Amino acid sequence: MAVLKFAEAIRAALDHEMAEDPSVVLMGEEVGALGGVFTVTKGLIDKYGPERVMDSPIAEGALAGFAAGAATEGMRPVVEIMFSDFVMLAMDQLINFAAKIHYMSNGQFSVPAVVRLPGGAGTNHGPQHSQALESWFAQTPGLVVAMPSTPSDAYWMMRESIRLDDPVMFFENKNLYFTAGEDVDFTEGPRGMRAAVRREGADLTVVSAGRMSGMCLEAAATLEESGYSCEVVDMRYLWPLDLETVAASVKKTSKLAVVYEAVQYGGWGSEIAAWAARELFTDLDGPVHRVGAHRVPIPVGVSLEEAVIPTPATIHASLLELAKF
Amino acid sequence: MPPTITPHQHLELYRSMVLTRAVETAIERSHRAGRISGSFHSSLGQESCAAGVCAALRSTDAVTSNHRGHGHALAKGVTADAVLAELYKKTHGTSGGRGASMHLHDRSVGFYGETAIVGGGIPWAAGVAWAKKRAGTDDIAVSFGGDGAFANGVFGESLRLAKFWEAPCLFVCENNGWAHSMPVEKMFGPPGSITAMVRAMGIQAEHVDGRDVRAVHECASELVQYIRREGRPAFLECVVYRVRAHSINDADYRYRPKDDGRQWLDANDPIEASRRELDRALPGRAAEVDREIDEIVRRAVERAEAGRTPTPADAFKTVYASEGLEWHGSVEVR
Repeated sequence: MAVLKFAEAIRAALDHEMAEDPSVVLMGEEVGALGGVFTVTKGLIDKYGPERVMDSPIAEGALAGFAAGAATEGMRPVVEIMFSDFVMLAMDQLINFAAKIHYMSNGQFSVPAVVRLPGGAGTNHGPQHSQALESWFAQTPGLVVAMPSTPSDAYWMMRESIRLDDPVMFFENKNLYFTAGEDVDFTEGPRGMRAAVRREGADLTVVSAGRMSGMCLEAAATLEESGYSCEVVDMRYLWPLDLETVAASVKKTSKLAVVYEAVQYGGWGSEIAAWAARELFTDLDGPVHRVGAHRVPIPVGVSLEEAVIPTPATIHASLLELAKF
Repeated sequence: MPPTITPHQHLELYRSMVLTRAVETAIERSHRAGRISGSFHSSLGQESCAAGVCAALRSTDAVTSNHRGHGHALAKGVTADAVLAELYKKTHGTSGGRGASMHLHDRSVGFYGETAIVGGGIPWAAGVAWAKKRAGTDDIAVSFGGDGAFANGVFGESLRLAKFWEAPCLFVCENNGWAHSMPVEKMFGPPGSITAMVRAMGIQAEHVDGRDVRAVHECASELVQYIRREGRPAFLECVVYRVRAHSINDADYRYRPKDDGRQWLDANDPIEASRRELDRALPGRAAEVDREIDEIVRRAVERAEAGRTPTPADAFKTVYASEGLEWHGSVEVR
């Protein structure tokens, strides 16, 4: 047990997996000497050496293929893409190779690799450093998509991801790295890729993941002041998607909103909304609400950025409207 | 330097080339007869590269390949049965009949497999090579690509990583004169130009005339020994020619004379060159090999024709390797 911030929790997970399994290696730009631009891998090179904490040339395409290739030979690489926006340079290798080689080879090869993707808006880094790209990957067969929202989840989901025999896109929201720490139990934690109910409620359900889970909790607390009790479900993984937990919550509350930082249009939250519209039709007492990003690039500056992505205020407004329906 | 390999070694290289020629000729026949469909990229005329390089490898060395990879597969030890069955999309094919021509994989003989994205298999080989060295073996990995792939960014990046992390990988460039309709001379310059680029990166690089399978084999063997000994990458440009169109459905007469490939083959066929040499050194043996291979391929076609087609349920298998991830996205609420 230790009080850890989000970044420290991921570092602890990497450390513990590397200590237990010599096939776990870290690769990426600046992961060694610098310890990662967000300090996630800080100090690991001193403990495990440059043979296992490998500073890479700026060559994301070959790096992704190299890591996935090493994974087909039994290694368990964890690749850091400095900002998730740079993953575009690696897309062919991730989508056409890592995600598909198990299928294409009829099960002869697998890719037990994790790609760490620091993403999301809120840090004034601009349109090419702030995107929320998780929906793309949730669409791709062969990939697992993880999106933790708390230090404890970051720790346990990273350990679970490293041990999976499939490629995992691990989305880390940059804003979460250094927010208040929490107790992380190293001996026992959530396993099994299920969603988590973060707050119990009776009147409506809001589903989200990553940084948006915290915003939904904030909005739910404000909603309480108006007399509405909102249940907050944190999906944790966007693939596989634990729809049973969503169904159980909506059967209780009869109202559903989905909140996600990715572009609302065609995003992973839309999939949940469309699914609920059919499968939960007779349980719903109101329209399914979606709160996602507008389909514009992410600008810098609080006033512009907050106009584009969901905020506690816009989430609250949507939930209040739904609660009153 | 004159070739130093023995006639019997030469006969084995010949056998390897003839097997690929016979399998690919059978594929063309089956295609024209409407027995198989989909993409097919022939390596007719350039079999010497696969045969010469793969004969320098062990079964525990890994090979990655491209869309024109039947020869690489066969030369590395994949059976004609498995290749033809995959072309016929049958369950006894290398990939269970789900991938066909551009998705041959057979790990049991070290043929890691083809990738259908130009350049896509190059970093795979580098990563595998690095992992093999790290595991303490002196096994290596080889990537085959065409000249077209060497314009691709991932090739330069892969060389950089392989040099930087000292991956024991042989990058083979089959310079067959054409990147689809783009003449290689227009893109890179005369044969050896790609080699010069790679040398400038500080990587051991050679080029060889692919019309002589013995020369290819000797050059590849030296590079393979260098890679095993030094634990570092190397590069081989094998100068061959693409006799057939880019693919079986390609209208190559729009960008080169209609009989261009045939004319080259009549004058330069590496198989004919070997046969003439072998008929002098080992009279009658080449013809014997031809008959053996004909029989092997004839039977493989028969078995492929008679094989079982996958069931629709097979389409949903092995999407994921981990337990419990078989879900495909539709959840019905009870």
